[in-house]
Amino acid sequence: MIEALLLVPLFTALLCGLARSERTIYVLSAAGSTVTALVAFPCCYQALSGPPLHRGPWYLDPLSALFVLVIVVITLLVSVYSVQYLQHDRREGEVNVKDLRYYHVLLHLFALCMLLVVVVDSLGLMWIAVEGTTLISAFLVGFYKKGEAIEASWKYLIICSVGITLALLGIVLLYASSMAALGEGADTLDWSALRAVADQLDPALVKVAFIFIVVGLGTKAGLAPMHTWLPDAHSQSPTPISALLSAVLLNCAMYGVLRVHILAQAAVPGFSSSLLTFFGLLSVAIATAFLLTSRDLKRFLAFSSVEHMGIIALGFGIGGPLAVLGALFHVVAHSLTKTLMFFGAGNVIQRYRTREMREIKGVGRTMPATASLLVLGGAAIAGSPPFAIFIGELLITAGALASGEYLVAGLFIALMAIIFAAMTYRVLGMVSGRPQEGVPAGELGALRLIPMLVLAAAILMLGVLLPSALGDALGSVAELFEVII
Amino acid sequence: MGQLVRSFAFQSLMLAAIAAVLAHYTGSEHIYVVAGLTLVVKGLVIPRFLIYSMDRLKVRREIEPLVGIPASLLISGGLVIVAYYITEPLISSAETVTRNCLAVSLAVVLIGLFMMISRRKAMTQMVGLLMMENGLFLGIISTTYGMPLIVEIGIFFDVLMAVLIMGIFAYRINQTFETLDTTFMRRLRG
Repeated sequence: MIEALLLVPLFTALLCGLARSERTIYVLSAAGSTVTALVAFPCCYQALSGPPLHRGPWYLDPLSALFVLVIVVITLLVSVYSVQYLQHDRREGEVNVKDLRYYHVLLHLFALCMLLVVVVDSLGLMWIAVEGTTLISAFLVGFYKKGEAIEASWKYLIICSVGITLALLGIVLLYASSMAALGEGADTLDWSALRAVADQLDPALVKVAFIFIVVGLGTKAGLAPMHTWLPDAHSQSPTPISALLSAVLLNCAMYGVLRVHILAQAAVPGFSSSLLTFFGLLSVAIATAFLLTSRDLKRFLAFSSVEHMGIIALGFGIGGPLAVLGALFHVVAHSLTKTLMFFGAGNVIQRYRTREMREIKGVGRTMPATASLLVLGGAAIAGSPPFAIFIGELLITAGALASGEYLVAGLFIALMAIIFAAMTYRVLGMVSGRPQEGVPAGELGALRLIPMLVLAAAILMLGVLLPSALGDALGSVAELFEVII
Repeated sequence: MGQLVRSFAFQSLMLAAIAAVLAHYTGSEHIYVVAGLTLVVKGLVIPRFLIYSMDRLKVRREIEPLVGIPASLLISGGLVIVAYYITEPLISSAETVTRNCLAVSLAVVLIGLFMMISRRKAMTQMVGLLMMENGLFLGIISTTYGMPLIVEIGIFFDVLMAVLIMGIFAYRINQTFETLDTTFMRRLRG
């Protein structure tokens, strides 16, 4: 089953590479990601409701299943949205058929690598897959081959490669810490094996290992102060790819941190969670400063991703049933909402031909449907009820209060208030007013609005009622963090 | 620049030699494989590729490093001390053969990192990253006597791919900006 989950994106990439006409590429890409999603659902259902699927190098437990679901759903929506986005670029003469083929091959290989990150058991193989995602997505970031895009992809490659090298050092130390517990010649980096002896790992080595891993994979997850590649890469890549980077790739890196966090929590209770709390709060604070000052729409959304990854790290760092449940819920909520925002931004940027938020005015008049979805998404991402992100943030705040972290909770609430103001100011500023001369009115196509509608409906539904299936799923994931809900 | 690549190749050869000695000492076969891979991939293939791309991009010398040579030497020396200081509690219980290796490997990682931030050319940054990876490998083989073989082969493959891909991007940078000097890349900020 898991092999099928990985083979479908691989074959889709191959077929997209062989396809001749533009239309075939689009159909193949959308069909391929639909099939991946259909294969993924039964696997994940099985992993969420029963014991982990553990065969050969694969390991699918509730935590992996949650991330697999996020990856396949967002990839499906992105491959649908890409169709008319790229058709627009085609009309503008920015890309040719060869570029289209290249884009789709890389898109599906990228999805494959991200799936690989979350379904392998060995932490070493996970590391290889994370490095793979960097190498593949660097080409997607530099897709437009202009000066700035190349600059962004070079920074992305170098910063993330350095980060991942440090993470490897962390994995080596973790391996060294397990040698006494597993015995000489155990020769395994499998998470499931390490988990079984987690409380016997050498505490001194585990501490150093976790520092390297949180810095190294945290670079890729966009935790401040290692986030500097993120706004560049997000602003220069094609918008559907920005959505994929923001909503899925960052989560995959966070997944790696969480795996080691679970081990470290058993070996040295309290050490890894205090580091996560520190980096989480720092990310939220730094992102707040940049959200107030950035003027480029996509950089603005990228800093919002830094903020939300910070919130997720903070939730896991605080620990306890409420905060862990909140952080898990926030992973799902942030992915859906940020994808909605990037899709909206993609429509606006292609219509106005600029990313400068001061030059974008009157979206409400030129593109009413996009504008209303953008307002809805903006309200959601700023954390207002009745949307999903509000629930996540509320649970994390409640968790912080319940575990007596009053200072953390206070700072968190203050920062959320500032971010709310920045978000509403920017989004309403773009939507209201009169458009400049020469901006044509009208939406850019139905295939760009349908994924947005689906996302908007999802975040509204998750905010109003938690489906019992999702509640059970999150509960079984939370058990891995040794909290009972 | 040629000197830089030659020193990197020499470092890789030394690494392969250490791996071979360790393999002989522990009698474990798969460290021999690692030694062979290091020799071939990092000692021969990657330096060849770097020289080839330098010829193609016509990079000859590293002009004006951001930090002067004497200061760089002093800083690197300081980094070695830092590395010993950090690893001191970890290595005090280690066996004699590999006692210093963890500290040395951390020092190499830090010096590689320092080289990446203190030099301007894209090529030098690549070599800095490779040096970091060499330091890391020293850490792998000395503290753990090798990770599972599949992981090590995967890491070699990844390093090779990373170098190729960075080479492609260095070529693109050269074409777009007509230089490999990355200090020009300052447009994305805020």
